Amino acid sequence: MIELSGLRKKFGEVEAVRDVSFTAADGTVVGLLGPNGAGKTTTLRMLSGLMRPDAGTIRLDDADVVADPIGAQTRMGLLPDSRGLYPRLTPIEHIEYFGKLHGLSGPALAQRTQALITLLGLGEVSKRRVAGFSQGERTKVALARALVHQPRNVILDEPTNGLDVLSTRAMRDLIRGLRRDGCCVLFSSHIMQEVSALCDRIVVIAHGKVVADGTPDELRSLTGRENLEDAFVVLTGQMEEVS
Amino acid sequence: MKPLHQFWTIWTKELRDGARDRRSIASVLIGTVMTPLLFGVMITVVASRNKSAEEIKLPVAGSQYAPAFMNWLRQQTGVEIVPAPADPEAAVRERKEDVVLIIDKDFAKDMGRAIPAPVKLVSDSTREGSRPKVTRVRKLVNAYSGQLAALRLLARGVAPSVAQPVGLEEVEVSSAQQKLAELLNILPLMLVLAALTGGMQIAIDTTAGERERGSLEPLLLSPVPRGVLAAGKCLAAAAFGCGSVLFSMLLTVNVMRRVPWQDLGIRFRVSDGNLLSLLALILPLALFLSAVVAFVSIFARSFKEAQGYIGYIILLPMLPGIIASLYPLSNRPYLAPIPVLGQYALAADVLGGKPPAVAFYILAGLSVLACAAALMALSARLLKREAIIFGR
Repeated sequence: MIELSGLRKKFGEVEAVRDVSFTAADGTVVGLLGPNGAGKTTTLRMLSGLMRPDAGTIRLDDADVVADPIGAQTRMGLLPDSRGLYPRLTPIEHIEYFGKLHGLSGPALAQRTQALITLLGLGEVSKRRVAGFSQGERTKVALARALVHQPRNVILDEPTNGLDVLSTRAMRDLIRGLRRDGCCVLFSSHIMQEVSALCDRIVVIAHGKVVADGTPDELRSLTGRENLEDAFVVLTGQMEEVS
Repeated sequence: MKPLHQFWTIWTKELRDGARDRRSIASVLIGTVMTPLLFGVMITVVASRNKSAEEIKLPVAGSQYAPAFMNWLRQQTGVEIVPAPADPEAAVRERKEDVVLIIDKDFAKDMGRAIPAPVKLVSDSTREGSRPKVTRVRKLVNAYSGQLAALRLLARGVAPSVAQPVGLEEVEVSSAQQKLAELLNILPLMLVLAALTGGMQIAIDTTAGERERGSLEPLLLSPVPRGVLAAGKCLAAAAFGCGSVLFSMLLTVNVMRRVPWQDLGIRFRVSDGNLLSLLALILPLALFLSAVVAFVSIFARSFKEAQGYIGYIILLPMLPGIIASLYPLSNRPYLAPIPVLGQYALAADVLGGKPPAVAFYILAGLSVLACAAALMALSARLLKREAIIFGR
């Protein structure tokens, strides 16, 4: 369960996030949708505990992210915008490193590592150093290390960015699997199909504010558009440019 | 227990990652190998020059004009008279000879009339290498002249001491060990440089490198206290620094034990105890230097940028060396608490054969570790800054 309310963040004169509040319940997939520069990544960074909001509260289950970021980080798995890997380590070593940092060890860690390797289809390259991996393989390794501690809250920043069709499908399956397991999944995207294919609820952000929050059907009826993409364009105030 | 487990995880990961970075390990090894080897070659060359002054072949032109003088020269140890080249000055200028002695054809006549008998010493003072030999020849000529002067005075019923109003006696207070220490001053410098360069690559790679690759943000998402993170990274770098120091010391000592010190009139006496004392001084410094590099590198967005900053940090171990050439650092154990400078001061005493009290080692070690801890705490704070986590 993720709860954000009254979130604000300013960088110098620029108000990146003005007023963001929404809730993501367990067992649901929530899409954070918005055009480039709408404040999605900034919102997720504040949610991760690495960036302090100027105002507002963030709760993860019963942990206060702003007051106790480290406590909150044990409950969340986050695939951030930057997915840097260690070129001289193998996928297995990456997963084990982050598993150990989360306090896992011994057979439990080995089992979890193997499960992630299988789940993400990294078997063939699991013992190869990641230097020279394709974008898709890198994203999978980054995802595996974010999920190693079996977090109940999973936050993904544009998870399908740079992935081919096959990898995108695998990512969708993974997200559905997490929902089945009762996790709370929040992911950001600017791709409409992505969001409509997966999300129980959509939160639309534009210019640092939440402009709509509801199921895909609710958004369609709110804007009076049958096509979700049209609805998105209306909501984010880009209407004039399109028509 | 958990932070300790995390620390161990970070430390071992950085060691493994660093050990796989073959290229930077090779560059450190080459750097560490070159300095002692160059030093060894340098000392050997100086020693062989000194040796060349002991066993000399002296070309003399006109030796037939001064048979007595030649006989006297031949009786001196290590002197062999050889025929001079046709043009002595040209031969010296062209470096075929270091020194040539020319006896004037009027030598015997002037000697008989008791006026200075002309002898020319041909040498080139710009040639560093021939200087010991020239000095030796000059001394020989002066000695012969002095002996004859004394004999002449005696023949005239005058005590030779009359002609020597001032009796100059040179008292040399520096022990041979101190002369050696002067030469050995380069040893602490080499070890400190080894400590710095050995840990540097890891210290940069785990900070600026982590930022450059974009792996810092994911790393900071794991629930690890920033202090544990900074400590794990700095101690991993320090481990490499220590390895580099040990390697450098083994190599340097082996080179030094093979250098012909006896030709310099010095006995190389650096005991294993002295070497252990040096290690006790320098090894804690490895952590301090790694912490300095890591702290500075956190500000850099890329490995390259960090290397630019580190160019100035290299001055850190050099500076006390420069100070030492202006103000001698020996016998100043109170400098111990100042990182780097203190190590040089104590090392100078160790190598000078006057090892400082154990308390000073402890003082130096504690001070340097405290400074390292402070730097790691500062680094930990930096790792909380948004501009550093997200600034790429």
